[in-house]
Amino acid sequence: MIKRFGALVVVGLAILMGFSVAWAARVGELAPDFTATDTNGKVHKLSEYRGKFVVLEWTNRGCPYTQKHYNSGNMQRLQREWTGKGVIWLTVISSAPGEQGYVTASQENAYLKESNAAPTAVLLDTTGAVGHLYDAKTTPHMYIIDSQGTLIYNGAIDDRPTTDLGDVNGAKNYVSASLQEATSGKPVSNATTRPYGCSVKYPR
Amino acid sequence: MQPGKPLWIGIQFHLDEGWHIYWQNAGDSGEPPKVQWELPPGFAVGPIQWPQPVRLGGGSIIDYGYEGEVLLMAPIDGPPRSEAISAPSISAGVKYIVCREICVPGKAHLQLSFPEAGDTSKRRTLFGQARARLPKPAPASWRISAESDKDRFLLSVRTNSKVQRATFLPITPGEIENSALQRFVSTGIGFRLELQKSSQLTKSISILKGLVVLGPDRAFEITAPVVSR
Repeated sequence: MIKRFGALVVVGLAILMGFSVAWAARVGELAPDFTATDTNGKVHKLSEYRGKFVVLEWTNRGCPYTQKHYNSGNMQRLQREWTGKGVIWLTVISSAPGEQGYVTASQENAYLKESNAAPTAVLLDTTGAVGHLYDAKTTPHMYIIDSQGTLIYNGAIDDRPTTDLGDVNGAKNYVSASLQEATSGKPVSNATTRPYGCSVKYPR
Repeated sequence: MQPGKPLWIGIQFHLDEGWHIYWQNAGDSGEPPKVQWELPPGFAVGPIQWPQPVRLGGGSIIDYGYEGEVLLMAPIDGPPRSEAISAPSISAGVKYIVCREICVPGKAHLQLSFPEAGDTSKRRTLFGQARARLPKPAPASWRISAESDKDRFLLSVRTNSKVQRATFLPITPGEIENSALQRFVSTGIGFRLELQKSSQLTKSISILKGLVVLGPDRAFEITAPVVSR
């Protein structure tokens, strides 16, 4: 009985991953819709944010590339600036239980307070379903969805693929640049870039 | 040191089991080690000669790198007359990230003085083994081309021999989907490989550069002209 159940789970995963490769979120196309639960138990459905810009930020606080942007205050600054301008900022944790970056809701809420982070919400994606839907590869990996629901940015947070805190200043921040352009009605100049960071710790 | 003779310098990594560092194209995550050389006047260091990497990871995230022992070699050009420097010293600032299930960044400051103390034959063996792991240039007799359609590159290599299996490792990041299955077809006088384009590739490319791997220590560096069809 247990064995059969295990086999079913594996098959289900294989199909999901097969789809994620074929339907991976592409810039210029409608961003795939999803529902996910945040650290306060609230359910978020992407399509309900139509009319607003949405940022998706993949995170893993144990990852040195993520730490570069939190220990320098860069990520919190971005979150505060853009949510202040009406942007919905969803931080996504796709770490599976037992993997680095996996947190319970209350652990994450404590960390948000301690790190002074300011996303709209943190989504707990422990199955990796949302991560695979977007084919998120790294932490950080950033996506921007415009008010029509179209994916307008997919890639790195900035152009300095290192773990050095000193590289935050002077880097070209693609998220800020893209949001600035898009919110003033301009096309995004660098809409697809190569994300950098640690691998997302999906279920194995 | 002898003037006019090629000189090699190497940075050696001893990695504990399960840990890896990255190739010049790290793949989907991580980053290659970076080296800042400090040299006496008149010396210059050439590019790192990257040994054949292995595919790492699984599922939708694939990286390229090294496990165990790895030596990153680079050629040194010295001044034509060795007496110009009595005891040259070379140092290297190395920044790297080493990963298992988790990643840890590190840095090291390494220094080397001539004449180098220690066992010369041991060093010779070390460099010899590293050299054996370097990709070779593709034989001049190979015919290499690539076609590009909307979603794929179709790489054709005529080796004039039967090839049982082959994989392609891209040197430039963001050109092919690292985790996608590479469909292999033996043509009897070579092979074809179907490579899925990366979703990060936003413009057409005129050359595809990478390694064709036919087996352990059998990697060949190729540059395939790309024709759109």
